[in-house]
Amino acid sequence: MATVRSHVELAQALPPRLLDFFRRWQPPSIAAFGAASQSTPTVRIAEITSSQDPNAPSASEVALPENAVWKKNPFLPFKNPQTGHWHGPHYSLRRQAELFKLAEQHNVLPLMPMSPKHPQAKEQSRIDHGLRVKGTGVGQRVKGHHWERTLKTRLETRRKAMEVMPDMIQLWKERGHGRGWKKYPKGPVSTAKSEVFDQNMRHAWVNQRVPQG
Amino acid sequence: MARKAKSRTIAVRLISMAMTGYYKTFTRPRASRPMSMLKYDPVVKKKVLFLEQKRGGGS
Repeated sequence: MATVRSHVELAQALPPRLLDFFRRWQPPSIAAFGAASQSTPTVRIAEITSSQDPNAPSASEVALPENAVWKKNPFLPFKNPQTGHWHGPHYSLRRQAELFKLAEQHNVLPLMPMSPKHPQAKEQSRIDHGLRVKGTGVGQRVKGHHWERTLKTRLETRRKAMEVMPDMIQLWKERGHGRGWKKYPKGPVSTAKSEVFDQNMRHAWVNQRVPQG
Repeated sequence: MARKAKSRTIAVRLISMAMTGYYKTFTRPRASRPMSMLKYDPVVKKKVLFLEQKRGGGS
């Protein structure tokens, strides 16, 4: 039984803390193997470590159905199907992080249940949320200040206005330095909308000027 | 009650036609024609045309 031997070697190589964890929350692969070979006199991890198990499930936990999520993953919150009450994860995030550091050191990460502290989950979270700065994730964009969002339009409006400015000034001079000038801007001129400039000023004057010239 | 007499002069706002949002405020007699002048706009750093902004419908 090479598998049994490998399990025993693994159990002997692990630190007590990880071993305790795996004894109490058996990984599915090992648990399935243990259930299959229960009839044969093989050595199980739980038997290797100690006969006295202070962390054995209490009576209230035993009363829960075997398929309860709690039994499978002590790292996630658990809803008691009988009472409907929520319980926090069995291990705090600090203890979860410590367990995952140990598991990474001893190369037993595949045996660990999924957790917020799992390297894969952390990587996924980084992909989803970026650096936790709003808008830096994949497919997101930073909203920016109002002046940043409108900067491009305003610069474009200004550029257009400055392009026709010599024309406008010449026309203004021809009209007696304002004596014949009839078109004045209506209300406060918005610098963000280019059509304001087009409608009010430029086109009206150029169209009038062309027939004269 | 008699309405208060309108002042002889008014404050007007001349806005830069470079569409920079820059403006200058002047005072002119109410009866005179609207003001327009060439002035320096520090945003575009050039002398540009400034035109008086039309006032609201109240006057």
